[in-house]
Amino acid sequence: MDDTQSDHLKAYGLAYRVVHEGVKAEWLLNYQGGAFLLPDGDAIRREAALNGVRAEPVDGGRVTSIRGEIEANNMDAVPLEKAPKVAVYAPPNAAPWDDAVTMALQYAGIPFTKIWDPEVLSGGLRDFDWLHLHHEDFTGQYSKFFLIYSGMPWLADMVQHNADTARRLGFATVPDLKKAVARGIRDYVANGGFLFAMCTATETIDLALAAHGVDIAATFADGTPIDPQADSKLDWSQAFAFTGGKLEPNPLVATFSDIDGHQVNAGPRRQPLGAFKLFNFSAKIDPVPTMLVQSHRQVIPDFYGLTTSFMRTRLKPGVTILADEEGAPWVKYIHGDLGKGTWTFFGGHDPEDPQHQIGDPPTDLSLHPHSPGYRLILNNVLFPAAKKRELKT
Amino acid sequence: MRRSLRAGLAALALATTPAFAQAIGQGFELERGGRNAEAAAAYLSTLRADPANLPALLGLERVLPALGRLPELLPLVQRARERVPENGSLRSLELRVYAGMNEPDSLTAAARRWAAALPRSEAPYREWALALADRREFDDARQVLLLGRRSLGGGATTLAIELAELEQRVENWEAAAREWGHAVVAAPELLPNAASQLAETPAPQRARVTVALTSPDATPRTQRLAAELLLGWGQAAEGWRVFEQSLAGAPSSETATALRRYADLAAQLGTPAGHRVRGLALTRWADLVPSPLAERARAEGVRELLEGGDRVAARAALERLAADSLAPADAKSMAEAALIEVLIADGGAQLEAAERRLGSSILGGDDESRLRLALARARVARGELDRAALLLRDDSSVAALAERGWIALYRGDLRGATDAFRAAGPYAGERAAATDRTAMLALVQQIRADTLPDLGAGLLTLARGDSAGAVTTLRQVAGRLAPDGGRSDVLLLAGQVAARLGGLQDSTAARLFEQVARAGGSGAAAPAAELEWARLLVRQGRAAEAIQRLEHLILSYPGSAFVPEARRELDRARGAVPRS
Repeated sequence: MDDTQSDHLKAYGLAYRVVHEGVKAEWLLNYQGGAFLLPDGDAIRREAALNGVRAEPVDGGRVTSIRGEIEANNMDAVPLEKAPKVAVYAPPNAAPWDDAVTMALQYAGIPFTKIWDPEVLSGGLRDFDWLHLHHEDFTGQYSKFFLIYSGMPWLADMVQHNADTARRLGFATVPDLKKAVARGIRDYVANGGFLFAMCTATETIDLALAAHGVDIAATFADGTPIDPQADSKLDWSQAFAFTGGKLEPNPLVATFSDIDGHQVNAGPRRQPLGAFKLFNFSAKIDPVPTMLVQSHRQVIPDFYGLTTSFMRTRLKPGVTILADEEGAPWVKYIHGDLGKGTWTFFGGHDPEDPQHQIGDPPTDLSLHPHSPGYRLILNNVLFPAAKKRELKT
Repeated sequence: MRRSLRAGLAALALATTPAFAQAIGQGFELERGGRNAEAAAAYLSTLRADPANLPALLGLERVLPALGRLPELLPLVQRARERVPENGSLRSLELRVYAGMNEPDSLTAAARRWAAALPRSEAPYREWALALADRREFDDARQVLLLGRRSLGGGATTLAIELAELEQRVENWEAAAREWGHAVVAAPELLPNAASQLAETPAPQRARVTVALTSPDATPRTQRLAAELLLGWGQAAEGWRVFEQSLAGAPSSETATALRRYADLAAQLGTPAGHRVRGLALTRWADLVPSPLAERARAEGVRELLEGGDRVAARAALERLAADSLAPADAKSMAEAALIEVLIADGGAQLEAAERRLGSSILGGDDESRLRLALARARVARGELDRAALLLRDDSSVAALAERGWIALYRGDLRGATDAFRAAGPYAGERAAATDRTAMLALVQQIRADTLPDLGAGLLTLARGDSAGAVTTLRQVAGRLAPDGGRSDVLLLAGQVAARLGGLQDSTAARLFEQVARAGGSGAAAPAAELEWARLLVRQGRAAEAIQRLEHLILSYPGSAFVPEARRELDRARGAVPRS
């Protein structure tokens, strides 16, 4: 899908639905910016027309020629055989249109189920192949908005919901509940699940995992101050991606640690936005990262989130960097394995709303059908559909 | 010998000053890096050389609590305070340290000592109350401020700001309003801050805040505070009523300043009510300022009153302006134009007066053309096509050309209308007007006749505001047209008018859209009707049926210009994008 595609994002939905119907499809990695080869048929043509997806008919001879081109270049054809069952971790009262992944899924027409703490803790994740996290602050500090946005109804609602859930599930505090949920998600990945996290969820799930038995939550969240020795007590072996992070102790600064490179809410530490560049992987040797970076643009404007990027110095050895900002001490998009599963972290909140502020109008993706940032999200949704084979990464 | 020793000490002191600065600078850096224990050591090192160094003491106040070592700060603060007893910052730090150590008796004793040392100062009470409030001991903090008010003997205005902020912190908005009311009486320059603070009052408590500020004994300044709040809460008319009461006394420069400020605040509303209040405030302000400022303000006030829909007040101001021999020429012509606008907007018999004034007016150029066009449109709206045409007879502007096109169309002269619209081009008037002309051109081109008076009559009925009558007429006209001679286009227009009416007309609109969609054809009418039909269905909450229509449109007319919009509607109907 290069610049001639009329709706890149809906093309993913079309491919997903085709695979969901039990029809075999192929993902042609790096071919014309990453195209899908679907069997011809009235139903598929109809779907493409309704969704404004440009589909190019190819006969047997052309397919042979395409395969020859793929064989001769840094390209590959990956069979897509099973549409993943998608779960999105979000509280029941989550505002609609405030999560880039759910917006992408809804726009592309990919079905998903919302789950939250009770489902995670009762083992409900085993019913899903793919899990997305976005806003959640797994340190249990309400994104550290507690003091800054004190009195705002949405915050009061968030606090009430979390506190009620913690009580109902038998946890003394919300931070305790969130740590248990983080461990549940970690177990899900270790058992073969696919995890995709954005924004705050990336950094805080690792902090929560590393802080098992250590108080890293401010007094407002659990009634006790942060353990003064917390930094030295964190066990990073439990985390997905990061190591050696130092906590932000000030409860009035809505940032969590020095893992995030941009520190959007930390006053003078805030860094300006640049652009990030996708790495070019060998499609035949590293098909997984190649799938995750399929795009018609290699350089993409950056966008803020409570966690925008990840400091290189805080990455564990073995983490695959999918995109970074050249010359900057941070990276944007990373991937790794844990047990039988994989995880991908993408910094930032909304690829088409770089300065996102609370209360901003929602992004209407019909105005951004070619969004390369949103394409990266949808690469992650479709990647679990790829037929498993010996992967070298 | 003594001289040389003193000189030697001075040299030593000078040499060591950079070392202090370096130590405290390191402390700040360490603190920023989260290394609190090392930062504390740096601050302590500074204090060993300079026991009254306030930045170092404040640094310790920040880092020691996190280390659980706050008590270490107390003797250091006391030593510094003994050295510089008149330093208020040290006194207030001492209070905060006692508060942080949860030693209320010592806090009280220290505060009383400070108050005794400075019997005329508000500072001891303010800092004492702040230390208590930071411990969330709000009742005690309130008692301290009231004690200060009594002890200092300054009346209700003493410590009013502190009390206001305290009440606000505990969300006692009514009491906060009363205290801000006291504060602005003493210092009118506080009004913007008071209004900004009280603007945050939650909606359910606003009425009580207003009552607290508008009691019978309220001063003009307090009333103005209430009026600003009401304005900010979107209650422009109520705000003006309260503000007007504050103008009862003798005019003064403060009154003039307040009126100007109120007018500027009203401008921020951007609503008709906001325009009206701005107009009222400007016309009152005009009475208090010299010429020519006054006339210009009055002229602007009239414009605002007109935008606010208060033609009665506008006319009163205009008459005053017209009678003002001192008014500059630009203000007079502005008033003349505004008065004619008022007469046109009043319509009916006033159109004659407007036409008379326009005929003998001092206006010229753009103003006169604009008013002549407005008057012609008002004539058209009354069905007086000949009089409208006469008004535009000598006007060669593209706007007049476009209006002549509409007049021709309403007379049923399709060829004349087409020629005039084409000659006017796409740039006459607003964008919406240009779009309307293009749509009408597209419709007329489908009809194989040079004249069609019934269609003109139907469109004139629509222009005169009788939409239901227009639907009936347009349907009748369509029935007499050939299927490939504009029938679908006229039916589509009838359907669009019916859909805009809504209510009972929705079913008529749906039938008309269905009829056009089923007729099909190669023109734009069928896909347009299908899109309108789908929108109507969405509005009626019948998303599934709307989706069927939109899918049919997209698949049946893939080359139609309506397809992109149909896809967006489809996304909305499916819930794939937010409703905008």
